[in-house]
Amino acid sequence: MTPLSRLVSAAALGTVAVLALAACSEPAAADSEQAGAGTLTVYTSEPQAKIDALVAAFTAETGIDVEVFRAGTGDLTARIEAERTTGTIGADVLLAADAPTFEGYKTAGMLQQYTPADVNALNPDVVDPDGYYVGTRIIPTVIAYNTAAVDAPPTAWKDLADPKYRGKITLPNPDVSGAAAFNTAVWLSTPELGEGWLEALAANDPVVAESNGPVGQAVAAGTQPVGIVVDYLVRELAAKGSPIALTYPTDGIPYISQPAGIFTDSDDAEAARKFVDFLVSKQGQELAVEQQYLPVRGDVGTPDGAPALSDLALLTPDLQEITKIQDDAVRKFNGLVG
Amino acid sequence: MVSSVRTVSSNAARALPGQRFDPVGAVRVALWLFAAAVIVAPLATVVSLGFGGNHIAQLIDGGIAGAATHSAVSAGLSAVFAVALATVMALLLDRTDLPGRGILRLILLSPLLIPPFVGAIAWTGLLGPSGLVNRFWAERFGGPLWNIYGGDGVVFLLTVHSYPLAYLIIAAALRKVPGDLEQIARIGGASPWRAMRTVTLPLLRPALLAAFTLTAVSNLADFGIPALIGLPERYVTLSTMVYRYIQSGTVDRPLEVVSTIGVVLLLLAVLAVFVDRRLSRRSRQLDGPVTAPQPLPLGGGRIPVGTLAWTVGLALTGLPIFALASQALLPAPGVPLAWDNLTLESIAAAVTAPGTVVGVQNSLLLAVGAGIVCAVAGLVLGVLTTRTRSRDNASLDLLAMLPQAVPGLVIAVGWLIVGRYTGLFDTRWVILCAYVTAFLAIVVQAVRAPLSTTPASLEEAARASGASRLRTLRDVPVAMTVPAAATGGVLVALTAVRELTMSVLLVAPGTQTLGVSIFNLQQAGDYNAASALSLLVTIVGIAGLGLFAGTRAGR
Repeated sequence: MTPLSRLVSAAALGTVAVLALAACSEPAAADSEQAGAGTLTVYTSEPQAKIDALVAAFTAETGIDVEVFRAGTGDLTARIEAERTTGTIGADVLLAADAPTFEGYKTAGMLQQYTPADVNALNPDVVDPDGYYVGTRIIPTVIAYNTAAVDAPPTAWKDLADPKYRGKITLPNPDVSGAAAFNTAVWLSTPELGEGWLEALAANDPVVAESNGPVGQAVAAGTQPVGIVVDYLVRELAAKGSPIALTYPTDGIPYISQPAGIFTDSDDAEAARKFVDFLVSKQGQELAVEQQYLPVRGDVGTPDGAPALSDLALLTPDLQEITKIQDDAVRKFNGLVG
Repeated sequence: MVSSVRTVSSNAARALPGQRFDPVGAVRVALWLFAAAVIVAPLATVVSLGFGGNHIAQLIDGGIAGAATHSAVSAGLSAVFAVALATVMALLLDRTDLPGRGILRLILLSPLLIPPFVGAIAWTGLLGPSGLVNRFWAERFGGPLWNIYGGDGVVFLLTVHSYPLAYLIIAAALRKVPGDLEQIARIGGASPWRAMRTVTLPLLRPALLAAFTLTAVSNLADFGIPALIGLPERYVTLSTMVYRYIQSGTVDRPLEVVSTIGVVLLLLAVLAVFVDRRLSRRSRQLDGPVTAPQPLPLGGGRIPVGTLAWTVGLALTGLPIFALASQALLPAPGVPLAWDNLTLESIAAAVTAPGTVVGVQNSLLLAVGAGIVCAVAGLVLGVLTTRTRSRDNASLDLLAMLPQAVPGLVIAVGWLIVGRYTGLFDTRWVILCAYVTAFLAIVVQAVRAPLSTTPASLEEAARASGASRLRTLRDVPVAMTVPAAATGGVLVALTAVRELTMSVLLVAPGTQTLGVSIFNLQQAGDYNAASALSLLVTIVGIAGLGLFAGTRAGR
């Protein structure tokens, strides 16, 4: 390599490195908004088919075109974070995950305040009192069991502490699944369950699966006959013919609400508000029920085979408190189940 | 940094300062620019993010030391086993008259095409605590045979999913080992096995090393297997730690935290490459024409060895394929496997799902594109770093290897940020760039072994006849290594088709890939459609491999 060419390559390398470093040290002012004007961009963790149906109904209703970026919650987090460090968020609306995630974005000043038009018809527990986000579905965590392998299904969390379920239980990993971490914190802060129950559950050697999907899969296939999983997955598998059913635990049901919020960076807040309104409107919630979700309002019924919302012992803990203890709860869980 | 090979001043490969234009130097500069754009840019982004805040204390608290140990041990052990298995496989399939070796080769290569997380799900159904085999065993002998969850299971499955890669590299090198040396040993009275052990295996050393480094470094970055098999037993690796911090939406500055983990993985990769360079200094060059080897007759051992090879081959690969096929043909998990229950619904649903068609088009385009770019760049890089002397060879080599060790998610984050500044964001090109970053090492390692055993005498002859340095490189090592680079390119394409973690983060509406289609179906809880799509990818891939291997063998 000649000195000249060595110099050129060193210069090239240096330039790139400097650019990359500069890129990370301060956010650029340039706005690389890709979506054309007049379209709304939504980031969501909803399954593709469900969000497609939702968007189609919204566009038919309002004439507003919607672009969807669908990914798992973790990938959404990474994408939003990468966009935040390099400029503006590329989405108008975020529809994903759980309240604690939104609490984080709220604290970082990334969300706009908006209270949907129909707020009085909604379950007050899913509406952020500060008005930065609103829950769009009730997604409870329940006990699923394989109907071919289990005769007398457990009906309460307490039952899962019974030694007869040793080696038979599977549950999502709170290290990876935000919802599972949230549930762990809720269980620990529920007086009737708490640490004693968690210890007894851990003594039953549960198999910690990666997330809700594999749990439903393992229970339906019979590899682990009992599982702790979100309710709509069980209804969907059962509808397709899997030998799986669920019980809503009588001693309290933790749930997440798949909130929707509008980013401060949104360049079409008007359309974004219409979308949030639609999500919790009667029509939007009827669609949610059709898609096997429990709704956030009382005038649209519930999915086939699901009890009325008023019959469920939903746990509504103080979110601030849960957010505070969540990390410790996960650590405790990892200490016990290992 | 790796210390480079000492320059010998009399070496003709060094241009003197002040000389006129040097074409080889120009190629080298071009290569550096390429490496700067597709490797340094995203990795520098990750590194600078990692140093953007001090998260060391937080990570030590999160158990990064244990995770790093688990990563190094599981990647190292699985690479040793994968190379051992691949060597036996290459010698048996390519050097003996084993019955049905053509078919067996394709069967054994199938794990290359099955996404690791799909394979992991199949194995847990068999060897999980209440899996089929363990239930059967417990009923008869009172305890489970072997619980796949935990570190041993992670090593086992990483081995299963990485030996095909090792095999392809070793088999390509084995083709270059002349048969007449073994013949001479045989004439001298050595037994066939002794001839193989004392002649062929030492000549394969560079290939074994290349395969070991590539599989070890790739296994560092694997996420699906440690997540599904390791986490239930709290066996955390660095790559599953990355996901822990990015998944829980309540971590402050998640990108900085995971980039710090990425930096630790990069350090492990540097270590692996360093060891590789130290060991591969003592390699032998082969001189003379390559004559076709005589297949070794197994004689009386043909049937028992054949039976054993087929049994192991089918046990390792038949099960996940059977699990995939049964899932693809059943309407839902847990429905008993019976003729009446079989349906083509899942396959129809998978093929007609919106996004699948787009996904196939994009994946084909991106996979072929990445295959070609990596094959060309990897070949040039391999030739320059092995056939010319320069102080920056070691750094080029290292650069090409590094991204292999970094989980796809971290590379994708690097490209997300670089993409924002270059206008590639939300285009297909950013995915192509990420693929090239991540898979260039596959080609570099595939061409390294054949290149390092090519004799220097041919190049000396070309130079003596008056060819320029560039012409010499083009006519001798490049021409001789094209087949190995093509194999590498095909490997890149096959890996890219089922790639998931990078694509998921980089896709935008309209740029969906096949991996993301599978992932979306799976996330929607439709495992059967996801299995159907994986099965189709596997079948098409095996057919493609078969054709490719067929044309190669026919030449």
